[in-house]
Amino acid sequence: MIDYRVRFRTNLVIAACGLAAFAVVPFVANSGLLFLAGLVAINIVFGLSWNFLFSGVGLLSFGHAMFFAGGAYGMALITRHVPEMPFLLALVLGAACGGLIALVFGVVALRRASGVYFAVLTLAFSELIHILITKTTFLGRNDGLTGIPRPVIELGFGTLNLTSATAYYYFIIIAMTLVAVMMWCFQNAPAGRLLQAIRQDQMRTAFLGTPIQGWQLTAFVISGTVAAFCGAVMVPFTQIASPEIAYWTVSTQPILFTLLGGAGQFWGPAVGAILFGAIDYGTRTMHGLSEITVGVLLLAVVLIIPGGLLGLLKRRRAAASKSARSETAGERTSETEAGK
Amino acid sequence: MTRIMEARAMHKSYGQVKVLEDVSFDLEEGEAHVVIGPNGAGKTTLFRCLSGETRINSGSIMLNGQDVTGLAGWQRVQRGIGRSFQVARIFQDMSAFENLIVAIETRERSEKGLWASFGHIAPRRAVMDEAERLVHELGLEGTLDDPAGTLSHGDKKRLELAMSLALRPKVLMLDEPTAGMSPSDRSEAVRLISDVRARYGLTLLLTEHDMEVVFGLATRLTVLHHGAIIASGEPHKVRADARVREVYLGQH
Repeated sequence: MIDYRVRFRTNLVIAACGLAAFAVVPFVANSGLLFLAGLVAINIVFGLSWNFLFSGVGLLSFGHAMFFAGGAYGMALITRHVPEMPFLLALVLGAACGGLIALVFGVVALRRASGVYFAVLTLAFSELIHILITKTTFLGRNDGLTGIPRPVIELGFGTLNLTSATAYYYFIIIAMTLVAVMMWCFQNAPAGRLLQAIRQDQMRTAFLGTPIQGWQLTAFVISGTVAAFCGAVMVPFTQIASPEIAYWTVSTQPILFTLLGGAGQFWGPAVGAILFGAIDYGTRTMHGLSEITVGVLLLAVVLIIPGGLLGLLKRRRAAASKSARSETAGERTSETEAGK
Repeated sequence: MTRIMEARAMHKSYGQVKVLEDVSFDLEEGEAHVVIGPNGAGKTTLFRCLSGETRINSGSIMLNGQDVTGLAGWQRVQRGIGRSFQVARIFQDMSAFENLIVAIETRERSEKGLWASFGHIAPRRAVMDEAERLVHELGLEGTLDDPAGTLSHGDKKRLELAMSLALRPKVLMLDEPTAGMSPSDRSEAVRLISDVRARYGLTLLLTEHDMEVVFGLATRLTVLHHGAIIASGEPHKVRADARVREVYLGQH
């Protein structure tokens, strides 16, 4: 039987360890590395949001950049035009921008298409958003929206000053950990189980009395909202929302993270995002080497360990526990034989 | 007896091929109604039309006095239908136990509303207990933790039956419940189905090929031939019908 409590605790510990590891970075690294670590933390949740859709519901998105950019631009616009709005509310509204994009797109696309056709539609729609951004003066055209300030949060009993990169970095990693844990809870709760059931057999789930499309749409909106939240959190950190974040290459990133880390595991995209960040850092002085390394690594992972890095780890452990079990079983039979 | 399902003048064609022509079909409460017919007679299509997997081109289907002709499968399930598939459909990567949990939680969601299971991560105690009861009733004890995809053919069928029962349906529709089973598994399955029917007071609708199963379970028999019903009634009368013997039973 599955021990749900143990499973919950284990994953909570994993999240806490991740948070602790990221919390150490400012003490041991320079500002460049700190910046990268902050982006990796955001990418982790961005990857989780994509894999929630892919492994959690069975929907393939090639256009997650549109949500990310939606959140980033929403946040940038709010901070520029409504500076008096509380920071946390602005974040929520930024995330809602992505949710809204997902809702509008999902209502149209999920009714019409599935599988690869759906994926191609997400790509097309995402490109449309990218072009829209680069052509709209209000959104800064090709220059993007610059000079986004970092916030000072009024807490009532005091203020939380996040204007320094390090302070804001801590805000990022705490926010990302919270969202990651929330996503884990959702995926393992009854609703997440149902979505998983939809991925595994739509017809069976329908004939348990479930409106498939409604649930797919819900999942799509949740995924879009989380991706947009990542974008919204990033903007004050980089202090710019540029059109590159709406480009299709950004859509490929969570896919890369997931394939590297392992689609079948909840934390797969997290492992992939960290690895991806490390490669980026290791090859930062040689232009183009990063892409080559990632490409070769991806090829190797897909060909040699299709389950990703975590998939490999899990298989190793399963094999080890299996051999341990057969050993104890062997002992037991010899004992009973001796008993006779 | 009340009529639980009433289909009138159903027509169904796939492109140019007419599969069902002017078929009317009744299901009385409490009966075990078996539909037989040679291959290609339209049994599975009839089954799909009644369950809502596919829409009929014309005609009407009533369920408990409500018109369900335009409703999708999941909506008919919410109105009291449970069904199995010819090749058992289960959630392959989940354990057998989780399969049941999903089914029970889905029923609770339709009964009590979307928020019934909200706020919990693990399945609630009541859900777990119910799943365990179903496990014992259907003899799935040995296979609880295995991924459902690795179960034997017979266990998959039993698991699917358990999932359908978890919905607490009024009508249980089984599409060839013993397809691909060995003779001994077959008689076991017949015993299980009639057990379940008695215990839950179910109305059954089955399609079946195996005559032993048919006469072991049926309280009413309907014979389909080239998309039309040629006989319907008590099994022994249908068995004696000259036309039925000619097109179907005579072959055996």
